[in-house]
Amino acid sequence: MKRSKIILSLMLSIVLAISLLAGCGGNETTTAPAADTTTTTAAPADDTDETTAAPDASGDGYAGELTLMHFSTSEESQGNGGSDGFRTVIANWETANPDIALNQTVLANDEYKTQVATLASADDLPDVFLLQGMNTKLWAEQGLIMDMTKIIEDSPHYADYNTSYFTPFTDGDKIYGLPVLTGGTCTVIVYDKAAWAEAGFEEFPKTWAEVEEANEYFTANGYTESIAFGNSGKWQMNSCFLSTLGDRFTGPEWFQSIIDKGGAAFTDEPFVKALDYTGMLFQSGVFNDDFNAINNEDAREYYISGETPAFIGGNWDVSYIGATLLETDPERYENTGFAVLPQPEGATGSENSQNIGLGYAVAINSKLADDADKLAAAIDLAYYVTGPDFASYVAENYALGGLTQVSNVDLSAFDQFTQDFYNYSYIDTAACEIYDSYVDGAVWDVLNTELQNLTNGSTDGATVAQLTQEAYEANY
Amino acid sequence: MLTRRPPLRVIIGYLMIPLALYIFAVFIPLMTAAFYSLFEWKGGPNKTFIGVANYVTLIKDKVFWLSFSHNLYLILLCVIGQVGIAFVFVMMINTRSVKLKSIHRTFGFFPSTIAAVYVGFIWTMIYDSRRGVLNWLLALIGRDDLKQVWLNNSDLVMTLVSIPLIWQYIGYYMLILLSATSSIDKEIFESAELDGANAVQRSIHIVLPMIKSTIIVCLVLCVSGNMKVFDNIFVMTSGGPGNDSMVMAMYGYKISFIQQNMGYGSAISVGIFVLGLLVIGAMQLFSNKFSKD
Amino acid sequence: MSEKAYGMTVGKKVGNGFMATILNTIMIVFSLSCIFPLVWMFYSSLKLKREFNANIVGLPPAPTLDNYKQILTNADYHIADSMINSVRTTILSVFLIVMFGFVVGYILARVKFKGNRIIWLMLLMGMLIPVHSLLVPIYIVFNRTGLNNQWYTLLIPYIAFGMPIAVFLIHSYLKGIPIALEEAASIDGSGFTGTLFKIIMPICRPVMVTIAIIQTFACWNEFSFALVLLRDVGLHTVPLAMTQFTGQFSSDYPKIMAAMLITMSPIVIMYFGFSKNIIKGMVAGVVKG
Repeated sequence: MKRSKIILSLMLSIVLAISLLAGCGGNETTTAPAADTTTTTAAPADDTDETTAAPDASGDGYAGELTLMHFSTSEESQGNGGSDGFRTVIANWETANPDIALNQTVLANDEYKTQVATLASADDLPDVFLLQGMNTKLWAEQGLIMDMTKIIEDSPHYADYNTSYFTPFTDGDKIYGLPVLTGGTCTVIVYDKAAWAEAGFEEFPKTWAEVEEANEYFTANGYTESIAFGNSGKWQMNSCFLSTLGDRFTGPEWFQSIIDKGGAAFTDEPFVKALDYTGMLFQSGVFNDDFNAINNEDAREYYISGETPAFIGGNWDVSYIGATLLETDPERYENTGFAVLPQPEGATGSENSQNIGLGYAVAINSKLADDADKLAAAIDLAYYVTGPDFASYVAENYALGGLTQVSNVDLSAFDQFTQDFYNYSYIDTAACEIYDSYVDGAVWDVLNTELQNLTNGSTDGATVAQLTQEAYEANY
Repeated sequence: MLTRRPPLRVIIGYLMIPLALYIFAVFIPLMTAAFYSLFEWKGGPNKTFIGVANYVTLIKDKVFWLSFSHNLYLILLCVIGQVGIAFVFVMMINTRSVKLKSIHRTFGFFPSTIAAVYVGFIWTMIYDSRRGVLNWLLALIGRDDLKQVWLNNSDLVMTLVSIPLIWQYIGYYMLILLSATSSIDKEIFESAELDGANAVQRSIHIVLPMIKSTIIVCLVLCVSGNMKVFDNIFVMTSGGPGNDSMVMAMYGYKISFIQQNMGYGSAISVGIFVLGLLVIGAMQLFSNKFSKD
Repeated sequence: MSEKAYGMTVGKKVGNGFMATILNTIMIVFSLSCIFPLVWMFYSSLKLKREFNANIVGLPPAPTLDNYKQILTNADYHIADSMINSVRTTILSVFLIVMFGFVVGYILARVKFKGNRIIWLMLLMGMLIPVHSLLVPIYIVFNRTGLNNQWYTLLIPYIAFGMPIAVFLIHSYLKGIPIALEEAASIDGSGFTGTLFKIIMPICRPVMVTIAIIQTFACWNEFSFALVLLRDVGLHTVPLAMTQFTGQFSSDYPKIMAAMLITMSPIVIMYFGFSKNIIKGMVAGVVKG
């Protein structure tokens, strides 16, 4: 008797808990379809458009708290020009707006992503935060982020914006953020000009066949391989290789169609070819045999120590390699050059492309639409941290570019290494898109996992494409 | 059990606060997850009720079941490795011939206190194909043919990632077993002359039954810990190559946070929980049968 | 000194000596391997980032205290605040885990009442919950109740998730303790509460010390709850403060290790310094039964 009573009361409390939650959950869902929420967010946004012009000039109509979340930690800013610039302009803005208590939560990037995802799920995002490109559509649909199209057009710096950086944060004709930090390439070949000259190449080879030819020379002359690469984190193969190599096969229209759901599929022949080519290259012995067991931080050490005459990575690797070689091996520093990926056989796209972009944008919580003054303050902050002050700071100190273009960057103060890399990133090459700035994390997670199998030779391009396509259809 | 039971209100008084706290922090989130698992929920305020569709997906999800098989393999290795070796070490420490007892007791526990990322670091360097200790040792004994990129070997990777886990937690179980043996009379350990067969027999026939209930707690800890293991493997391989070292908790985390599929992620947590209960239940049945025999 | 005369004993002694050497060697190798990470972390903290990246296990080519200087002088790192938070959270959590664990464990082991088994089962379930994939529900529950982002926030999950292990260990320990003692006390007129704290608690000291050690390190190192449930930098615990040294694309591991050694030093010194006393405490409670 008693036992059953206890079980009963336990069950009751469980039922109570569930119904409590169901109640809350019910409110959340509010049977409001996505369309409904977008209209509600769109309307207040329009209202505020009129108000933006006025506080924008002064920027200090609001007194109170403004919460900001970002990942430019004090540590990150040491050696990372974008973070340093970002922290600097935030500090300037704080000084200029003493009435606003800017409450910052600064976490390292990984933790930032986890916490922002949690807060988004609980509909409890901070006022201003950094939005990752691939979350744009999803969060816009959920009504979490404010439509900033008008805000951006009203920006005093609009004329100087590099508008191509807006694409990852665009859904249809609406833009949801002001791209922030610095634009950097994700795929660059860093190579030792002297070593490749010895192998008979005055500049980096234009075709992979020539790389394989050079590889014979290198492996016979004390190098373990020609190019170092690290992919144990799984994202590197996508961001720092396939994204560019794929562009060579498919051209930019295909990826645009993937983004727009315009009919293109991962199973389309050019993309499958790109996959197979990637698999073939990583099986060919041109790369270090442990590329799937080490990450990019280990792989670049192969280049720094001189074991390997070239390395493929992103701008973050270049700044580390530069700073390290400058201290340990000035001669290699002088000899270091930058090159785009060689053109694969059978590829018909641009021969000179590399993927570059801004991965994050300043986004504003859609709830700020209810508080015009606070919103004005948030907009002012967003304009400022992506505006000319930031751009000149990073250009003058690091030879880096952001959203706002600065005319007449004087590179003469920088050494050859920095100048070369600036030219590689912004001048001499054609830009293509970074895959994982778009679409959906689920698609890339599947593709990245399968890329490890592909480059290990345990699956083929068609299978990888099929699985990626399934994830694309299911999630996007 | 006490023959004179204290009044019920005393018991309720003692149990109320801890259990209320426990239910709030452990059960309500679990219920919440169970509730969310019935929705298509990509993170954010909008959810769509889809009934048990997530569980249907889960049952068909090959990666999840592959991960489960990896967890089972880990449990097998760790029950033998962690609890088994810890028991042997405790027996050894309790013999008279082993010196520096307090040092072993103190040092052994240390690895389990370090964050997984550092343990991962050290072991990644052991397995590293170029600078690693393992390949260096193989070269030293003239077996260059066995040298390889260890963590990229699909067949070995689960075993390789479990070794650091075993090493890290031996001391943890040693500590628990030592506290259990502290209630055993020292003479039991020291009376007999040290003689291989005797020592082993004594351990199995005298000591083991005396600390049986603690051993069972250790086994439950070991099984439940390995059902939700995450950090070490994430640091060493991120589940790779491919999904060859994927485990359930990492998969759930990936689905929830990297793929931002909170609804399905919740279904996976519930799945891990239910499978955990089944494994523990099976273990108890087995041990009951075993102890009856 | 005839060999024959001592043949047997010597033989046996050599045998024992041989066995003992093997046992000692195994234990020493194991203990050394256990302490190696600490040694490695220490000498790595004397390296520069690029020296560490170039050779992860090597000794520092030019030992430097720069990392320590930077950590102790840079206020952005808020190391001191985070240590205060961690110390407070850890001490309170561990004390309550041990006390709750003791009381609940004792009641489950010794008092027969309906629901005993259910509570036991519930606690078992708690050990099977995958925390990483429950972070969002936990956040939502705490956020709804306004219990997140407070100085006491972390006590709740730490106690709740630490309790099952504590209960089980106490429970199993008491199984080895004869009940006669409590029955005698009870006959002498000692009430339930008196018996619990005056008679049983001293007996359970070894296992309570064990629980305290395990939980101290567990609470000190806990990361996921702290990440999700705290937002104010002023409330951050040590593991969260450590993440500042991790960049988006590169991490300064020597600096992290220096920071870890600084922040762990109080608890490691306490553990090693008092290990003798702790172990004595573990043995002191022995009842010959």
